[in-house]
Amino acid sequence: MNDYAKPLPQIDPRQAPFWQGLRERQILLPTCSDCAKARFPATRFCGYCWSEAMQWVPVAGGATLQAYATFHKAYWAGFAADVPYQVIQVRLDAGVSLFSNRVGPWSPRVQLGARLKPYFDDVTPSVTLLKFSVDEAQP
Amino acid sequence: MPTPLPQAAVVGVGTTRYGVLSEYDAYDLGQWALKQALDEAGLTPADIDGLILSRVPDYQRFAELGRLDPHYTLTTPGHGRFAGICIQTAVAVLQAGLARTVAVVYGNNGRSAGDRYGGDTDSYGSGGAGMWFPYGMTSPGAFHALMFQRHQARYGTRVEQLAHIPMAFRYHASLNPAAVMRQTFDLDGYLAARYICEPLRLLDYCLINDGGVALILTLADRAADLPQKPVYIDAMAQRAQFSDSSFPPDDFWHGAMASAAQATFAQTDLRREDMDALMVYDNFSPTVLFSLEGFGYCQPGEGGAFIEGGRLRLDGDLPTNTSGGHLSESYMQGWALNVEAVRQIRGQCEQRQVAGAQHVHYMAAAPVMTSLIYSGQRRTS
Repeated sequence: MNDYAKPLPQIDPRQAPFWQGLRERQILLPTCSDCAKARFPATRFCGYCWSEAMQWVPVAGGATLQAYATFHKAYWAGFAADVPYQVIQVRLDAGVSLFSNRVGPWSPRVQLGARLKPYFDDVTPSVTLLKFSVDEAQP
Repeated sequence: MPTPLPQAAVVGVGTTRYGVLSEYDAYDLGQWALKQALDEAGLTPADIDGLILSRVPDYQRFAELGRLDPHYTLTTPGHGRFAGICIQTAVAVLQAGLARTVAVVYGNNGRSAGDRYGGDTDSYGSGGAGMWFPYGMTSPGAFHALMFQRHQARYGTRVEQLAHIPMAFRYHASLNPAAVMRQTFDLDGYLAARYICEPLRLLDYCLINDGGVALILTLADRAADLPQKPVYIDAMAQRAQFSDSSFPPDDFWHGAMASAAQATFAQTDLRREDMDALMVYDNFSPTVLFSLEGFGYCQPGEGGAFIEGGRLRLDGDLPTNTSGGHLSESYMQGWALNVEAVRQIRGQCEQRQVAGAQHVHYMAAAPVMTSLIYSGQRRTS
């Protein structure tokens, strides 16, 4: 796995619990202790109520597809073998948006608003990325 | 009734050559453009007592190079949304009496400096884009590709409709000797262009080239004494949508644009039907579609059908980006479109002139929406 050539996340102390959570197959979101709204990435203050009190709360990871686009240009050498590859914009049910990649089958009938479920991709021994697959169990 | 604020006018504009200008840095390009604007305005550097800069790296250095000692100084980042913001700020500074003659100056040597808009140096989207690099997500182009894909899925918009935007602007550029890209193409030519980030093709992306732009504004009373036909700022507004702006907005910015449009048209007796031309910020061709919808020239979702049949062409109902815009004239991040508005109203656009143009609406859709109506007629009230 040492030859992994794609960009890796810059994991600073503030975001570390999220990445550690992914290693353990958990999606932990920074969540305001006062107004209970989730946010991502972690920030000092809650953007909604400006409280400084925050805790990491696990969420199930159900999500909806907001949009997708297909990269035909590789901006990093590590993606050259993947083009054309897809980037998806998703919204977790917890209310935060993410960019990610899809895994698994992707039929033309996949529509915006399609239900997605998380897929934990261990790209290196220490880094897991949060990707998504179509949740066939849900319409 | 409150006393209306004094009206401001553009009294000088300047543009450099466009293309690869590797012997000029951003300061040189800004000074070149400002020199031209001063010359045609019949003014000297000593007349400049307000200085507003964009993309020029350092305000002090720029002013020192030209020996400018203004009463008001402001510098802004080189994001396209700041073209409208800077011009609006110049008007406010004049109306507040902080300065009498304001120069707004833009210098961009990004082509020669090797600027890249995707990959490791990409900071689009609240500067936080690096978080998504592991997934291969990068570049403002991809952001707009996601928006257009969503527009297609929601409204049934087709790429064959979108194509009318770059085709019309390239046609305009073919009539503009200053434009960088002047070879016209038809629908087949558009569809043959390679994808960069599907559904967007190379021809949906703005150019990257060097150049500089400057405008000089003063209040209407003083403008009457200067050599150029004044072009008045008739109405203007700005709305931001920064919340969640790291991601494409669900509504294509329609809500914020509608609010900016409402505020703009509330200031003037002019209506959309009075506009002789539009200048629409065109970093990527879908932005034009979203803007026509958001600023009320058609209904949300109807943009695709609206632009079919060449409505945006010089010979159409609504000539738009008559210079060729960012897609074909020059990547001057909104600045050159404002100059084009002025030149249209002055009647200086030669082959691409809109006959009798008196009113032009500049609009930009981004996390900051800006809206400016230029008019050849001074308000009477």
